[in-house]
Formats: sequence, structure tokens, C-alpha cells
Amino acid sequence: MSILNVNYAAILVDGLSFALPLLIIAIGGIYSERSGIVNLALEGLLGFGAFAGALFVASTVGLFATGSDLPMYLSFAFAALGGALFAVIHAVLCIKFMANQVISGVVINILSVALTGFLTSTINATFFGEASERFMLQTSPRWDIPFLMEIPIIGAAFTRVYPFMFIILIVATFFWYLLYKTKFGLRVRAAGDNPQALDAAGVNVSRVRFGAVVISGALAGIGGMSFAYSISTNFSPAIYMGYGFLAIAALIFGNWRIVPTFAACLVFGLTRSAAFQLLPVFDASAAVIDLAMTAPFVVTLLLLAFFGRSNKAPRALGELYDKSKR
Amino acid sequence: MTKNSGASPQDNQQQDHEPHDQRDPRHALNSLNKSLDKATRMVTQGLVKGFGNERWQSLTIPLLAIFLSLLTISVVILIFGNNPFDVFRGLLAGAGWWPKENYGGGQSQLTDLVGLATTLTPLLFGALGVVVALRAGLFNIGVAGQMILAAFLATVLVGYSDMTAWLARPLVFLIAIAVGALAGALIGFLKYRFNIHEVVSSIMLNNIFMLTVSYFITSSHQDPVSRNMRAASADARLLTEPVQLGEASARLPVGFLLALIMAFLLWFFLTKTKQGFEMTAVGKSPKAAQYAGIKIGRTVIVAMAISGAMGGLAGVTHYMASVPSIAPGVLPGVGFDAIAVAFLGNAHPLGAILASTLIATLVSGATYMSSIVGVRQEIAALITGMILLFTACGGYLRSWLDVKKRSLADANANTDDNATKGGDDA
Repeated sequence: MSILNVNYAAILVDGLSFALPLLIIAIGGIYSERSGIVNLALEGLLGFGAFAGALFVASTVGLFATGSDLPMYLSFAFAALGGALFAVIHAVLCIKFMANQVISGVVINILSVALTGFLTSTINATFFGEASERFMLQTSPRWDIPFLMEIPIIGAAFTRVYPFMFIILIVATFFWYLLYKTKFGLRVRAAGDNPQALDAAGVNVSRVRFGAVVISGALAGIGGMSFAYSISTNFSPAIYMGYGFLAIAALIFGNWRIVPTFAACLVFGLTRSAAFQLLPVFDASAAVIDLAMTAPFVVTLLLLAFFGRSNKAPRALGELYDKSKR
Repeated sequence: MTKNSGASPQDNQQQDHEPHDQRDPRHALNSLNKSLDKATRMVTQGLVKGFGNERWQSLTIPLLAIFLSLLTISVVILIFGNNPFDVFRGLLAGAGWWPKENYGGGQSQLTDLVGLATTLTPLLFGALGVVVALRAGLFNIGVAGQMILAAFLATVLVGYSDMTAWLARPLVFLIAIAVGALAGALIGFLKYRFNIHEVVSSIMLNNIFMLTVSYFITSSHQDPVSRNMRAASADARLLTEPVQLGEASARLPVGFLLALIMAFLLWFFLTKTKQGFEMTAVGKSPKAAQYAGIKIGRTVIVAMAISGAMGGLAGVTHYMASVPSIAPGVLPGVGFDAIAVAFLGNAHPLGAILASTLIATLVSGATYMSSIVGVRQEIAALITGMILLFTACGGYLRSWLDVKKRSLADANANTDDNATKGGDDA
């Protein structure tokens, strides 16, 4: 195999199909952190969201016509719901019970891994009568976009695309608009930068933060469901691959802003897919996949080392909102 | 604990036997309300009595968290149609705290306890690593990566040679400390020099270490049967020759005593030495520490190096004693359980001993419990998660108890017959 017959189209599509779920999870993180709540729970939220979506698919097998894509689309709604519900725990712990936000995030992650693992195998054994620790999903359809796919070079990005990529683009655009162009978005950003001012303006800081954390759970759930479809076509505890933390790195690298974060996600996605396609050229063993998978993590560290110093977190990030403080 | 759990059922009974006018529903509702008020007041009083003493709160609050999580888990177990007490007894029996129905050849309750100590050792080392970092205000979730890297290098460098046990085992410990310390110091360096948050960098390094090690295992050190890394020689492994324990025999974990000693050493270091004090000062307030002339960068890196060294020790005591060898592509769960242990133990080295005993009991009892009771063994991880969840609320509980204690004191200071009105403080 030579460097000439590497599948460059696959680098683009695979890169995007990894970058977009990462983006939507990172946008979730941005909402939470811009509102002042540290969110290390993204990993657990994306896993629980994917669990909820996959549980919906697994429990409605036979209700839909075979070959119907409807359960796939609905699974994203349920994933968002599941992620949002699980995020309520984080919101309650951080806002009502005034827990340390970092600890709470770690707790959510540990709890999510344990709970989904336990529930998946128990539900499989109790209700579906099989000893399995995964919920199978049907294969996602892949689309070729007419006309766009014929553009030279970048046209490759429009062949064999996953439907979830469009779902994510639409949702991401909506939440970009919500954060930067609406009153609610302004309040979220104020809650993280100057909660006292927001309070003085007569807005309930806790409620805004609660909403932002729940949104972060819903978005992480959508991202997790996308990973479940693109990486493995099933839900199993293998979904906890550290991508939630990669999303955190992306949003820190993107300076807690959505558009630069998108760029960071693209860098991760393309590095990953390029490593997958290019490394086998130099080393044909199967083990090399492991080495290829280190690529996004190494790149993250290097990028953070070179560009991370100028970053500025939201000013009230991680602080409990205390009315009496000025 | 007995005080308040006993109080509410008693109260409910009283309410059932109370003679009241059956024909007037409003009256019944009124008296129900009154007794509910009374019940909540008694529960509050009981809670304040049991947990209000600040001196013991670092012990009583985790106990309450454990009790609440067991209560929640019991409900989950009941929902799936099993008896919670069977599950808890199965967990205790599997870990050696309770006699099993019958034992296989060469096994006894004593060998189960030895097994528990073997499981506990890496957990305690890992937790000590997290504790040291926490004291310096750092959150080391890189224990898992430090474990896998140290165990891999120790196995390759010593485990595949034909050194005698007296040379090999100390060398394994030294390599673990050196490799772990370097891997930990790297996180501290990245934080100090490049301002990369330690949580982000340690997650990245976890994955980098795990995947790189797994590349080397699958490409050159794989056992063809188990698909795991080829195991180290018996002389390098951290288990003694089989020792006769009554009728049964077991291999004793070499690192167990070392882990206990290390916990006391770290306690001494953190509370009684200048270096340890500086570390705590940096953890409490970096700015104040800097003003006092403490070198922040050096303290951060040293703290992370010690933390990483503990992670390395956890690695060798796990992969070269507790389990046969490294499985490629998986981060050790111990590295994350260690975080739970550290929090549960109140970020205190000696608290970590108690907490690691509890978590190790859950981990090592799970398989036996599952085979006897038929509840999935993941329930053990779920219990750990729930304990952590309630522990995270500990701070809130403390302030709640404080408020209640004061309001109760106020109420008692008033006249005694006023007490019926005091019920609305729930």
C-alpha cells in the first residue's frame, strides 16, 4: 500500500462524523460552563443519553416497519431526554446541594458507567431474555448528497454522510443562535461572568444555571447517540472512551466560544481519521489502530500547550452563587 | 442512627392507634398533619443529635452516606425482585467477612480475606495518590494511566528476566515509583508551565498511555491464549509462595503492609512536616501561599510526582498480584475507584484505609454474590456510585445540620409548650 491510494474521501467523511458529535457535546459543555457550572460530567451524560436512546430502540423492535428509519430519529429525541434527565442530578448537586462541581462531575461519570452497565445487562436478562451487555441498533443509512458531492476535493465530504450529521448541524445552529442572539443566551453568559449583576437585574441565577446544565445534558445525549451509531452500531459500556473529556478539551481550546470550538473539533476529527487511514501505510499490523487512536489525544495536548495560555474561562466558573457576596 | 430510624415508625404507630372522630375527615386530616409534623420534627431532632457533633462529622457523615446509598440500592434490588439482605450478605461472604455456605478445595474464609487484602492494596495506593494531589488542590484522575504505564514497564524490564525474587520484587517497586512519579510530574509540569488543567491533561495522558501500551502488547508481548499481556515470572510477581493457613493455603500480597505503612507515612508527611504543610497551603490558597514565599510550581510538581508514584505502586500491585496481567485496550477500573475511595475517606490518608476496605469489599464480593443471588455484579459499582453521590452532598448536610441545630436550640430556649409550634421548620 502506498501513500497514493489512501482513501482521502474517507478521511474527510470520517473526520466530520467524529467532529460533529464532539461539537454538539462541546456546545453542551459551553452552555453549562458559560453559566458558571463546571461540567466534567459530559462523559457520563453522553453515555446515559446513548443508553436511553438505545433502550428506546431495543424496546420498540417490531413496533415499526422493518427498514424504517423512524426509530433512529426518535432515538435521538430519547437520547436528548435521557441526557437531560441525568444532567438534573448534576444541576441539583451543584446548585441545590452546593456540592463541589468537579467532584459532582466525577460522581456523575462513575454513576453513569455503573448504572448503564447494570441496567443494560439486567434489562437484557429480565425483559429480553438474553445474556448480553449491549443493546443492538440498526445500521444507520448513509446518504450521498446530490450536486454537492460532485464538487472537486471537498465534494468527498458529501458522500456517504450519516443523517445525524444534519441533525447535529441543525441543533448546533439553533443553540448557537440561542446563546448569542437571545435574551436567554445573554442570561446564561451573564450567569457565568457576573451573576451578581444578573441577580440585580431581577433574574433568578439558579434557574438560569439549572436550565443551562439541563441543556448540556440533552446536547451530550445527542452526541452520545451519534457515537453509538457511527462507531459501534450498538450501545455498550465501550461508549465511555473519553470523548466527553475530549469535548471539554475542545471547548477550552475554543475559549468557551462555539465557532472556535467547532474548529477544534474539526482538528481532532480530521487528525483521528487521517491517522486511521495513513498509519497502516507505514505499519501493516492490526495493532497500529491503537497507535492511531492516540492521535487526537496527543494533538489536544500539544495544541493546549501552545495555544492554551491565552485562554480565559468565564469569570464565575466553578463558584457557588452567593447572593451576599460582591 | 438507631435513634432517628426508630423514631418515625413509632410515631406512625401512635398515629394509627390514636382515637379520633371517624365522621369528621377534617379532624382526621388535622391530626394526621400534626403527627406528620411531629414525625419530621423527631427525625430532624434525631439527625441533629446523631450527626450534629462537628468533631465526629468526618466519620458520621460518610456513614450516613453509606447508609442512604444502601437504602437506595435496596429499593433498586427490590424492584428487580431480589432480597437486598441476600445481596449484602453475598457481598460480605464473597469478601471473606462472613462464612460462605461451602468452600472449594484449599479455600476458606481466611483465603477470602487474603484475597480481599490483595484487591485492597492497589486501591489503597491509588487512593493515597488521589489524596496527596487533592491536598495540594489538584485533582489527579490520571491514576489509571500511571498504573498501566508502570505495570507495563515493570513487567517488561523485570518480569521477563530471570532475576531471583529478592532482587526482582524490590526492583519492581522501584520502577513503579520512578515511572509513576515521572508520569505524575508531567501532569504537574503541564499545569504549571502551560496552564493545562490537570483534569484535561491526565485524561489525555490516560488514553495515550493506555493505547500505546496496548499497541506494544498486541504487537510484541501478547499471550496467544488469553490475548492479554504475557504474565511476569512468579519471582517478579508481588505474591508470596503459598502459605498454609489452617487447612487452606494462599499466596499473600507483598504490597499490603507497604500500602498501610505508606498511608501512615503520608499522614505524617502531610500533617507534620514543612513540605507537607506547604503543599496543603498551596491547595487551600495558592495566592496566599505564594505571598508567604512558597514556590507554587515546585510544590505542584512535587505533589503530582508523589501522587504519580502512588499510582505506579497501585499499578504493579494490581497487574502483578491482583490480576494476572494487563488486558490491552482497557483502563483499570481501580484507577477510578481510587477517586471514590479518596473522597469517601475525606481526602485523608488514614480515612483512605477505611474507605478502601469498604470499596474493596464491594469489588471482591461481587462475583460470589452474583453467582449465589443472581443479581448482576455491576450492582457493586452502582453501590460505589451511590455512596459517592451522597458523600458529595455531605457539605450541604453539614450546613443543614448546623442551621437545624441552632433553630432547635432556639426552640428549646423558648417555653416547652411552644414545642408543638416548632414543627413547621421542615
